[in-house]
Amino acid sequence: MSLLPEQICSHCGISFRWKAVVAGGTDGGRELFCCRGCQGAYLMICEAGLDGFYQREGRAAPTVAGSLPGSFSDADLARHLIPEGDLCRIDILVGGITCPSCVWLLERMLLRTIGVEYVSLSYSGGVASLRFDPALVTPLELFSVIARLGYVPRPYSADQSEKEARRERDDLLLRFGTALFLTMQLMAYSYALYAGYFQGIGAPMKQFLQYISLLVTTPVVFYSGWPFIVGAWRSLKTAAPGMDLLIAMGALSAWFYSVWATFTGEETYFESAATIVTFVLIGRLIELSVRRRAISGISTLYASAPQRATLVGEGGAGSEVDVEDIRPGDLLLVRQGERFPVDCLVIKGETEVDQSLATGESRPVLLVSGEEVRSGCVNVAAPVTVQALRPAGQSYLMRVAALVQMAQAGKPRLQQLADRVSGWFVPAVILLALLVGAGRVLLLGNSVGAAIMAALSVVLIACPCAMGLAVPAAVLAACSRSASLGIILRGGDVIERLATVDTVLFDKTGTITSGNPVVTRFETCCGSSASAVLQAAASAEEQASHPLARAIVLYAAEQGYRPETCRDFRSIPGRGISALLPDGVPVLCGSEAFLAEQGIAVDIDSCCDSSATAVLIAVDGILAGHFLLSDQLREGASAVVSALAAEQLDVRIISGDNQATVEQVGRHIGIAAVHGGLTPDQKLASVTGLQQQGRRVLMVGDGVNDAPALAGATVSCSLSGSSDIALENADLIITGGDLARIATAYRISRATMTIIKQNLGWAFVYNIIGIPLASAGLLTPVYAAVAMTASSLLVSLNSLRLMRFKHHG
Amino acid sequence: MDETLILLILLSFCLGAGCWLVFIWAVKKGEFEDVERPKHRMMDDD
Repeated sequence: MSLLPEQICSHCGISFRWKAVVAGGTDGGRELFCCRGCQGAYLMICEAGLDGFYQREGRAAPTVAGSLPGSFSDADLARHLIPEGDLCRIDILVGGITCPSCVWLLERMLLRTIGVEYVSLSYSGGVASLRFDPALVTPLELFSVIARLGYVPRPYSADQSEKEARRERDDLLLRFGTALFLTMQLMAYSYALYAGYFQGIGAPMKQFLQYISLLVTTPVVFYSGWPFIVGAWRSLKTAAPGMDLLIAMGALSAWFYSVWATFTGEETYFESAATIVTFVLIGRLIELSVRRRAISGISTLYASAPQRATLVGEGGAGSEVDVEDIRPGDLLLVRQGERFPVDCLVIKGETEVDQSLATGESRPVLLVSGEEVRSGCVNVAAPVTVQALRPAGQSYLMRVAALVQMAQAGKPRLQQLADRVSGWFVPAVILLALLVGAGRVLLLGNSVGAAIMAALSVVLIACPCAMGLAVPAAVLAACSRSASLGIILRGGDVIERLATVDTVLFDKTGTITSGNPVVTRFETCCGSSASAVLQAAASAEEQASHPLARAIVLYAAEQGYRPETCRDFRSIPGRGISALLPDGVPVLCGSEAFLAEQGIAVDIDSCCDSSATAVLIAVDGILAGHFLLSDQLREGASAVVSALAAEQLDVRIISGDNQATVEQVGRHIGIAAVHGGLTPDQKLASVTGLQQQGRRVLMVGDGVNDAPALAGATVSCSLSGSSDIALENADLIITGGDLARIATAYRISRATMTIIKQNLGWAFVYNIIGIPLASAGLLTPVYAAVAMTASSLLVSLNSLRLMRFKHHG
Repeated sequence: MDETLILLILLSFCLGAGCWLVFIWAVKKGEFEDVERPKHRMMDDD
């Protein structure tokens, strides 16, 4: 294969060096494309007058443009159409959207398609909603417009859970908005009543203000507060008192008491009923927005499985088939750059395969005939003929998807701390209220009506707004502080779970190490000059695409050596390369075995440590030197281990890589407990095994092979830049690649739990003071209001202390 | 005096109710569906 100097595709912007360069765009043939698909997309965009796309700042181009996978037909797509008058609507899930420019381009292109009336594409969800005239354009044509631009269209029907989530959010938003507006109104009337309490107020005016307060409070309690009333009823039926019961009790008792007070001329507590509901709804809304995610992770996993495969017939002729139609035993051709469609056995040829999807190991692995390869892995070196082992539905990727789904379903939803606290608090309050009521009647000889009122006021005082604010205020402060420290938390329950973790499991490749090899040592031998050897190595390796070759070129470039153009470049998969330098001197670069095969005396003990890979170089038939390359540790790898160990956590490594390499890395950063050679299901098994021993596990991983373990762990953590499926399953995401942030996240979660406990403690202190006063009938509405405001303020300010949390503090 | 107060109270109530109706309309229309895209829209030329 003749390789060319590196070129940049004018459409997708990827650098490529293979021969199939299609020149010719609109600019007199000066553009270069990596493939016909990109050329097509480029022409299409320019013809539509949208070439401004290529000038847009921060444009991240779609992946290599392609044609529409043939698996869709108009008949299939017709099922997804929603008729709207004369027009039709279709929702399309568009894969490959990486930037706002993608959205811009897609919207413009679709709007310019004849028959399309309306396009709206959501950036966060990646769902395009189109209204079009079915007489003018078919859905298949719309799909092919998207596909020709290099994006991946799939029919999208909001599944039940997603529709449900959207409905729930709208519902909550409406209830909260209503509560907020009415509570604001109510506050004006309440302050007038407070002023009246101190300065005197005419009875008719007081009556009027109380009536109008009743009018605005009733919808707040019974419409906005309805979810709490329903929740309270449910918890009464199941005899599991929770937060909902406390809120409903507080709001309802304040409302009933105030209605009674309105008609008997007493002081009312309407604002108490309304603010409890409003504050707690704020908390719920915060929780929901932190948690919100548009697309489930499983679909991204399905997307990395190829749709089509090339079937090789008896005569060697190839035909395209759907992946679903592959049967075990079929012979398939997998070209360079393609993914293996199903689990299969190499029959003919040898190649190097990027198995990072399966093992997390980014170094391509040499596969010869007779070896097994998993679906989704990428063929990087040469075309091979393979025999399918399993149908597509049972292949590796689908098994991982199934594992993830299972582990997600099995993850227990943790009870909120506030729920647990109110579990004993609520019965205690009810008991006390009953005692007060009974005591008034039996001991003090009060009327039954007065006794009920005294009992109700106990319940009312027992439920300050601080209770509702205690958890969400701390969670909000913790989430925004961690976000500014490069830690993204998915929801308040993550904080609660993270704070209880006692075991941390790390993946190796891509998590502790960066996954890219780097030259760690370079030595010459036999008296060769370092500069000549480096120059030769850089020139020869320049044309190879192997990660090791790239690392060597990079190393030489750092020392100031620019590659020269070589001739007769040859790459032997899994072995090395050979080339002729410009002056005709032959160079060989590769493994010890490769050089020995080529008849070169190899007499160095290069493999001094097992985690490093040695690349030897021979110039003019004589061994000239060697490079040692190893995977570099990520920033903060040692720091995070010592920091977590200092917090008394058990830190381990679980990796798909071989045991010796993992042990080497473990020694380096101070982790003794390492487990190598694990498959994705064994990783999940080690997580669940630890959990069965009562451990609470934080799993840190980045790859597809970590996804089941991430989904099964108590808390899961991924680094930004990880595979989509890992990110989707992560409870917390570390941005910026600094592992030490994991320890910070742990400390923030501990600090947040402390703050939450303080907040709840403060709320109870007010109750402890207030309840006896209320029982004695001494607490007037004004003092109740002051206490309530003070406790809410204290809780908010206490939560804000989290905003000062330091990374290394 | 009392009549003025009552009138003002009713007036403020109506104002609040107006805002509330606008809010309901916004939620129903899906104004809160996608909060990511609109902020990038100003970068578009047309």
